[in-house]
Amino acid sequence: MNLAKLKPGEKGRITGIGAIGPLKRRLMDMGVLVGEEVKVIKVAPMGDPIEVFIKSYNLSLRKKEAEGIAVEVSE
Amino acid sequence: MSVQASNKRQEEVGESQRGVLRPVEKRTITVAVAGNPNAGKSTLINAIAGTKLHVGNWPGVTVEKKEASFDYGGRRIKLVDLPGTYSLSPYTQEEIIARDYLVHERPDLIINVVDATNLERNLYLTVQLMELGIPVVMALNIYDEAEAKGYRIDVQGIEQMLGITVVPTSATRKSGLDELLQSVLATADDPAGHIPQQLNYGEDIEAAAQFMAESLHKSHPSLVDKYPKRWLLLKLMEGDGNLQKEVNIGQEALLDEALHHLKRAHGEDIEAVMADTRYSLASGLTREVLQKPELRKTELTEKIDRVVLNRFLGIPIFLAAMWITFKLTFDLSKPFSDWIGTMISGPFKRWAEALVGFIHAPDWTASLVTDGIISGVGNVLVFVPVIFAMMFFITFLEGSGYMARAAFVMDRAMHAIGLHGKSFIPMLLGFGCNVPAIYATRTLENQRDKTLTALLIPLMSCGARLPVYVVFIGAFFPSHAGTVLWSLYVMGIALAIMMGFIFKRTLFRGEAPMFIMELPPYRMPTFRSLMIHTWEKGKHFLIKAGTYILAFSVIAWFLLNLPWGVEHKKDSYLGQVGQVVAPALKPLGFGQWEAGSSLIAGLVAKEIVVGTMAEIYVKKDEDKKKEKPTFAEDLKEVGISFAKASKDSLANVVSTAGITSISADESAEKAAERNPLREELKKQYTPLGAYAFIVFVLLYIPCVVAIVAMVQELGSWKWFGVTFVYQMALAWGAAFIVYQGGRLLGLGG
Repeated sequence: MNLAKLKPGEKGRITGIGAIGPLKRRLMDMGVLVGEEVKVIKVAPMGDPIEVFIKSYNLSLRKKEAEGIAVEVSE
Repeated sequence: MSVQASNKRQEEVGESQRGVLRPVEKRTITVAVAGNPNAGKSTLINAIAGTKLHVGNWPGVTVEKKEASFDYGGRRIKLVDLPGTYSLSPYTQEEIIARDYLVHERPDLIINVVDATNLERNLYLTVQLMELGIPVVMALNIYDEAEAKGYRIDVQGIEQMLGITVVPTSATRKSGLDELLQSVLATADDPAGHIPQQLNYGEDIEAAAQFMAESLHKSHPSLVDKYPKRWLLLKLMEGDGNLQKEVNIGQEALLDEALHHLKRAHGEDIEAVMADTRYSLASGLTREVLQKPELRKTELTEKIDRVVLNRFLGIPIFLAAMWITFKLTFDLSKPFSDWIGTMISGPFKRWAEALVGFIHAPDWTASLVTDGIISGVGNVLVFVPVIFAMMFFITFLEGSGYMARAAFVMDRAMHAIGLHGKSFIPMLLGFGCNVPAIYATRTLENQRDKTLTALLIPLMSCGARLPVYVVFIGAFFPSHAGTVLWSLYVMGIALAIMMGFIFKRTLFRGEAPMFIMELPPYRMPTFRSLMIHTWEKGKHFLIKAGTYILAFSVIAWFLLNLPWGVEHKKDSYLGQVGQVVAPALKPLGFGQWEAGSSLIAGLVAKEIVVGTMAEIYVKKDEDKKKEKPTFAEDLKEVGISFAKASKDSLANVVSTAGITSISADESAEKAAERNPLREELKKQYTPLGAYAFIVFVLLYIPCVVAIVAMVQELGSWKWFGVTFVYQMALAWGAAFIVYQGGRLLGLGG
């Protein structure tokens, strides 16, 4: 399961980050870390990117980037 | 200045060698302001420094640098605003600028602007700033909003745990600013007593750091003095590529040995371990000091986003917002631009003429002054209103938080041609005028996105090209005016998409930059902050671009008017150049030297193509016969027409809801006066050649002002070279296909 597959309103816990290099570092700097709880808020009108709620703020990222973030669905 | 600077450096070297910081006495206190984007850093600086703010660029890059020096409490404080960053990692340009400044320039202290409503993520940067060993004063900003949300923050708790001074502030309400500056002074007076606490990164990391410190001391003793020690250790362990290169310590035995145990315990990825550790410190601290209300209210931002980012309404709302922005930017500024244009070419030119006549200067000097220099100044000044208007609305969109939403809504479409969601707004502004559009690319953080956007903007048909279309369409296609005009705009967009694809696969090959962007809460930017930004950025344009544009205008004058006293325009340098390029334009259907000369003259501003053609084809003498108004009449005219411009500007805002495009109407009117030119054009060109000509005008390189804007924003002439080559090729190719293809189809030649 990865973050891109979660539907708006669904929550998950991050279990792994597949990205490498700058992308990975950027994700980490934005608080996207293993163990973190993440909730999908919205999908953009054209289907991409998505908006998620993490570390009590709202973050948007492209589905391609979200695909690299492994999650386990919570609740 | 330089003496002072070198003194300061010596002092610091001495300080760090002894390991003690001496109090700052008479010299300027240099304060770096660091913080996350959207933490209200700009508003805070504006509230503190106001009009003393100076906007420039960081050396070598086109990232904005804001500085302000002022006196406070009998001391001189110099604020240096670092680019907003989430971290001090070495990946984005902003982060590199911020850390290089902090590490190499060693400011006396850091004001860390922290968003009180988003404590945890903001503290992640704080933790990193504390590693630098520079005193930190935290401005706990947006404190009023946090309180309104029912957050209870234990300010003293943060102070105790981090060992730094914390001052709650609200930049928008201007509260806490005095306390902040007082703390800055107190900290600067006793830097040794304000060194941030050394946070404990856990047994394993600390042990590795300890080991590293000892071996570094032996192997690279000089390094320990050159860099903040703890920062150096942690960054080396993290595998920070930039620093490794700087100090020449890569994958050496030293590192391997130090990290051996750490890697065994936590896996290979030390960078992730460090980020994790810093975040756990930030979240641990947040848990200790922050109490949130049990029940969370649905926030305003959520409510707005439910509508604004709605699946069905999102795009229409976005387009409406963009349309209003576009209309306001250009309609609001146009009457003032027109006013400036009229004033320069009217009263000011007459006054200059009178002055030059008074000192009995030769004819050519008079012409150089009035047609070269004054027109050049005019060329710069007419852009001022539109640049200011654009800066104002862009700053508003960014400050309010809508810019991030615009990017969110449009990213899918823009990403398809290799651009970023935020590219849409600059591209759109391009239809009004390419110049502010190119300046608007500064909202794009990534250099690649920015460059690519700026390269494609000239394909958006700007308002200055419209008069050229109108004249030719009026002469050749009066019955299909709408269709022909529409075809040009569509062609520009289609070619921009095509070039986007081509660039994506050639010059900009490789991974597209990521799109990982915060959607900040909506906030109302303060009017003061908007005005300061608009003014500073506008001023920056005036000074930097103005110089170049003026120079180009003078060069253009030389081309147009020399050798002095030629009877026929054909014999002027411009005419001669026109004759030289004419054969190259022949296959396009407009091989007349007049066409070539007009196109070259059009580089000053594209609408000049029409003026030059009128001058060449139609002899005019009505100007000379007019009675010259007196000085007093001129002066009165200046005032009255300014009042009218203001009134028109207001009226345009009111009528923005209407469909009519004012600029198009006016150009059409002006063009109607040029009937003799139309008749002459009909004799000179075939309809097919005429269409090829306007296609060429659409696509060939933009005016010098746009070129200057591009060089200035992208920071090098290289990209102008790219633009020149690709646009010339595109214009020639498209006009060739139109003309030769049309002939093959039997559309006549």
